[in-house]
Amino acid sequence: MTLLVSCPFHCFKWLHCFNNSYTFLKFSGTVFFVQHLHMSVFSQSFSPCGRFLAAGNNYGEIAVFSLSSALSPDATDLSQKPILTFTAHEGPVFSLLSTDSHLLSAGNGEVSAWSWAELIKRVIHNLHFSLFSFVFSFISIPPLQENSLVIGGGDNNIHIMDLESGIFKSVLQGHTDYIHCLSVREREGEILSGGEDGAVRIWDCRTGHSVHCIEVFKYEDCARPQYGKWISCLTTDSDWMLCGGGPSLSLWHLRSMSPTSVFPLSGCQRQATFYQDMILSVGEGQFVSHCLMGGEVKAQIPCTPHSLNTLALNLNSTEHRVLTVGGSSHQIDVFANLYYRSFSLSF
Amino acid sequence: MSDALKKRKSKVVRSETGTPEGKRGRGDGEQEVRVYSEEVELDGSDPAEDYRQYKLTCKALAKLMNEIQELKANGAKDGCAEVEQKRMQSCIHFMSLKKLNRLAHMRLKRGRDQTHEGKQRVDVLHLQLQNLLYEVMHMQKEISKCLEFKSKHEEIDLVSIDEFNKEAPPEISRISITKDDPHQLTLARLDWELEQRKRLAEKYKESLSSKEKIQKSIEVKKEHLSSLQPGLNAIMQASLPVQEYLSMPFEQTQKQIEIARHLPPSLYVLLVQANAYGQACDKSLSVSISGDVDEAKALAKPPDDSQDDDSGDSDAEEEQEKTKRRRPTTGGQLDDKRREMLKRHPLSLCLDLKCKDGSVLHLFFYYLMNLNIMTVKAKVSTATDLTGAISAGELLNSDTLLNCLYANDQGRETPNPANRYQFDKVGISVFGDYVAELGHPYQWVQRLGGLQFPSETPEGLRAGSSLSASHMESTMKLLRGRVQSRLALHKQFSSLEHSIVPVSSECQHLFPTKVLSRLSRWTAITHHEYTNLSFTRHVSDAGLARETDLFFLAVVERGTARLQAAVVLNPRYPEISPLFALSLSWKGERAGRSDDNLRAIESEVNVFKSELQGPRPGHQLLTNQVARLCVCLDVYLETDGQDDSVEGPREFPREKMCLRTARGPNRLKPFKYNHPQGFFSHR
Repeated sequence: MTLLVSCPFHCFKWLHCFNNSYTFLKFSGTVFFVQHLHMSVFSQSFSPCGRFLAAGNNYGEIAVFSLSSALSPDATDLSQKPILTFTAHEGPVFSLLSTDSHLLSAGNGEVSAWSWAELIKRVIHNLHFSLFSFVFSFISIPPLQENSLVIGGGDNNIHIMDLESGIFKSVLQGHTDYIHCLSVREREGEILSGGEDGAVRIWDCRTGHSVHCIEVFKYEDCARPQYGKWISCLTTDSDWMLCGGGPSLSLWHLRSMSPTSVFPLSGCQRQATFYQDMILSVGEGQFVSHCLMGGEVKAQIPCTPHSLNTLALNLNSTEHRVLTVGGSSHQIDVFANLYYRSFSLSF
Repeated sequence: MSDALKKRKSKVVRSETGTPEGKRGRGDGEQEVRVYSEEVELDGSDPAEDYRQYKLTCKALAKLMNEIQELKANGAKDGCAEVEQKRMQSCIHFMSLKKLNRLAHMRLKRGRDQTHEGKQRVDVLHLQLQNLLYEVMHMQKEISKCLEFKSKHEEIDLVSIDEFNKEAPPEISRISITKDDPHQLTLARLDWELEQRKRLAEKYKESLSSKEKIQKSIEVKKEHLSSLQPGLNAIMQASLPVQEYLSMPFEQTQKQIEIARHLPPSLYVLLVQANAYGQACDKSLSVSISGDVDEAKALAKPPDDSQDDDSGDSDAEEEQEKTKRRRPTTGGQLDDKRREMLKRHPLSLCLDLKCKDGSVLHLFFYYLMNLNIMTVKAKVSTATDLTGAISAGELLNSDTLLNCLYANDQGRETPNPANRYQFDKVGISVFGDYVAELGHPYQWVQRLGGLQFPSETPEGLRAGSSLSASHMESTMKLLRGRVQSRLALHKQFSSLEHSIVPVSSECQHLFPTKVLSRLSRWTAITHHEYTNLSFTRHVSDAGLARETDLFFLAVVERGTARLQAAVVLNPRYPEISPLFALSLSWKGERAGRSDDNLRAIESEVNVFKSELQGPRPGHQLLTNQVARLCVCLDVYLETDGQDDSVEGPREFPREKMCLRTARGPNRLKPFKYNHPQGFFSHR
C-alpha cells in the first residue's frame, strides 16, 4: 500500500484528542537477542534538518538515530544506537515519510504522525489520523495539492486524504491487487503506482482517472516469469521512470511509454533512486547496485544485511550527506562515500 | 763595534790565515787547543749574550749591505776598493753568524741530555712511592678485617648487665675484676648463661617424667570406662523391641544425630535446613547420611586436623614443609598431593526429591575438606521405563542434568577463589577435569551449605543457616521443575524420534487440522556439528549457541521439499526457549539467512513463541514449535507458485486459506494462523 502526503503540516489541531503517551520499550536478556536476530528494517526517513534518521522495523518499532553524533569524529559504539525507540504500530512499519515538521508512519491499518521536534527531545506523542481495515506500505507527497496525502493500500485502491480535515477527497480505483509503491511527477501533477498485479498505472491527480497502464511483465526485455510479475519499486525523474520487481529493473521514457534500458541485476529490486547521473538500487542480494543510465551495472557495493528493503539518501543536510540502507538485519548500513560502507547503525 | 767583535775578528783572522801549509807547519798542538776552546767557550758563554751578539752582527751586516748598494748606485765600479773592503767585512760577519749557529746547536743537544737524565730520576722515585702506597692499603685492609671479626658469643641472647650483677653468684660475677674490664664482664656473663641453661635442661627432664606418669594413670582410667561399654550396649539391645513396639524411632533419629555430629559444618547446615524444610513445606523431601562413620570419627580425633574450616592456610604451610623435606621425587609426589587436596569428607548427604509422577531425583552432596567447597552429583530414577529415545541420552545425564539451574552456573569452576592458589601449587589447571569424579561445585550447592564466597558481582553477604534457608525453597522448586521439564522433554523426544509430533488438546487450536508436512527425523548432534552447519552461523555469531546447550537436528519433509532445522536447547528450558535455524532444500538450497520467507518462519517459531507455550509451566513448547514449523512449511510450499498462470499441475496445490499471499517490500508469506476462522494472515 502506498501513501503520499502533501506538505505544510503545521495544523494538526483536529488530531490532538488522540494524543497518547508512550513509554520506552526495553528488551532484556535473551529475548533481546532473539528479536534482533529476526529483525527486518522496512523503512527509513531523515528528519527535515538532516541530522536524524528514523527507521521502522517488522515489530512495529521506530528507532530514531542521531546522524550528527554517529558521524562525528569522536563517535563511540553508543552513538550507533538509537537515541529513542518506541512501538508505533502493531504490525510492521512499511513506510516512513518526513514533512517539514512531522514524521509520518504507515503501519497495520493506520497512519500516524509524530512531531520531529518532540522525537528529538525523546517525547512521544502519537497523532493518529486515519484508521483503515488494511495495511499501508508507502507514503509520498504530491506538491501540487497542498495538505493532501496519497495512500496506497491493501484494498487495491489509492486514497487521497486532506490532512487539514482528515477527510478522504478521492479514491483512485483500477489496480487488481496490493499496491507496492507510489511516485509523484511534480510538474505534470501525475501519480504513478505499481502493484502486485504487475501493472504501473499513471493517474491524473485532478480528474482521478487512470491515464495509462503499463503492464511491464508483457515486455519481453523486462519479463522474468521465474520470479513473477509484481512491481515493487517505482521512481520518476522528469520524463524518466524506473520500475522493477518480478520483472527486471528497467528505465522507461514516459513520453514514448517504452523501455530504454534494462539492467541485468539478478534478484528482485525493492527500491531504486536516481542520484546525479546514476541509479542506485537495492533488493535481494547483499549489495547496493550502482547502474548507469545506459543499462550497465557499474558497481555492486557489499553491505551487512542479506537482502535489502530500503535505501535513503540524506539530501536535507550537506554535512551529513549519507546513503543509508536497511534490510533483513537489525543493522542499518551507512555510506558516507557511495563506494564503501562506513559503519552500521544498530537497533 | 765592541771588543767582543774585535776578539772574534781576530779569532777568525787567525783561522783564516791558518792555511793548510800553515796548519801543517805549526803542528797538532794548536789544533787541539782550538777545539777545546770551543767546548769551554760554550760552558762560559751566556745564551743571552750570544743572542745580543747575533743581533748586532745582523745589524752590522745590514748596514754594510746598504752602504755597498749606495756606493753601487752612485756609480762605483765593480772592482772598487771601498766596495771590496765592505765585502770583506760582511764576510767576516757571516763567519761569526755561522759560529753562533753552531754554538746554539750544541747548547740544544746538551739541554736535551740534561732533561732526559732528570726524567729518569723522577721515574724511579715515582715507582718507590707507588710501592709504599700499596703497602699502606694492604695494611689498612688487614686492620679493618681484624676489627670486623665476629665472635659466636654475640649471637647468644644474654641477660642484661644489671640483672646479671643482681642474680649471678659472686664467684661467677667477680665484680672487682669485671667492673672496669668489659672483656672480663662478657666472659663472666657467658659463664652465667651456661650455668643457667644447664639448670633448665634438668628441669625439662623432670617435667617429662612426671608427664609420663600422669599419662599412665589416664590410660588406666580409660580402660575402666571402656569395660563399662559392653554392659550398656546389652541394655540398649534389650530395649530395641520395646521401642519398635511403641513405634518411637528414638534410636533412628538418635543415630542420625550421632552421625551428624561428625558431619563437616556445611553438610550439617544442609542436613538441618533440608530436614526443617522437608518437615515444614515439602513432605516428599527426605535426607539421609551415608558414608563411613568410623573414618569420620578418626578424622575428627587429631585435634589440629579435624574441622579445618580454614584449611587453606594450614595446608599451605604443611605443603611447604613437605616440599622442603623431600624435593627429589616431585613427579609422584604431585599426584599424591592432588589426591590429598581433592579428598572429600567420608560422610555425604543424600537428598531424595520425589515428583508427583513417581520419579525421584537423588542428589548426593559431598564436602571437599581441603578446598572447603561442596559438590553435588545427581541421579534420576523414574517410575516408568524410559528406554527408546536415543536423542534423549543427554537429558538425564547426571553430568548435565543440573547445568545452569541458575543462569550461568555451570558448575565447572570452583566457586572458592582461594582454591586457585591451592591448585597452582599442585599443578591443577582446570577443576573441570575432576567434576566427573567429584561432582559439580554449583553456586547454589555452596549456598545450601551456608558457604558464601565473594563473587565478581557484589551482593549482600550472609552466612550460615540464614543463607542456606533463604535459598532452600527456590532451589528445591527449581530442582523439581528441572526434573519435570527433563522428563517431559524425554517423552517428547521419544515421540519425535518416531516422527510423531504430539499436540495436546489444549494446544489444538494453534494449528490447522490438516498439516501435510511431516517430521521425518529428530537426532541429537554435538556442539561442533552444530557450528559446522552453514545455516547456523548467525546464531553462533550472536553467542546464542553455547557449549552447555543441547543441540538437535530436525528434518521436516513434504514431497520433494526437505526442511532442516537445527535446534539449540538451553538447559534452562522451558524458561529459555529453544532456538531454530532453518535450511530448505527445494529447487535449490535456501537458508534462513538468505531467504526472507524462511527468516520469517524462523521468527514465527523463535520470537512469537509465547502463544506456543501451552499450559504452565510450558513443557510443550518444543513440540508446539515443531508443529508450527510443519504448518509454516505447508504455507511456504503452497504459496510458492510464482504466479497462477504457470502451466501444468502444481506439486503443492493450495489448500490453506490466505488473505494475501505476499505483503510488504520483501513479499512475505502469511504464516500466522487465525484459530476459529482457519485462515492465514500476516503478523
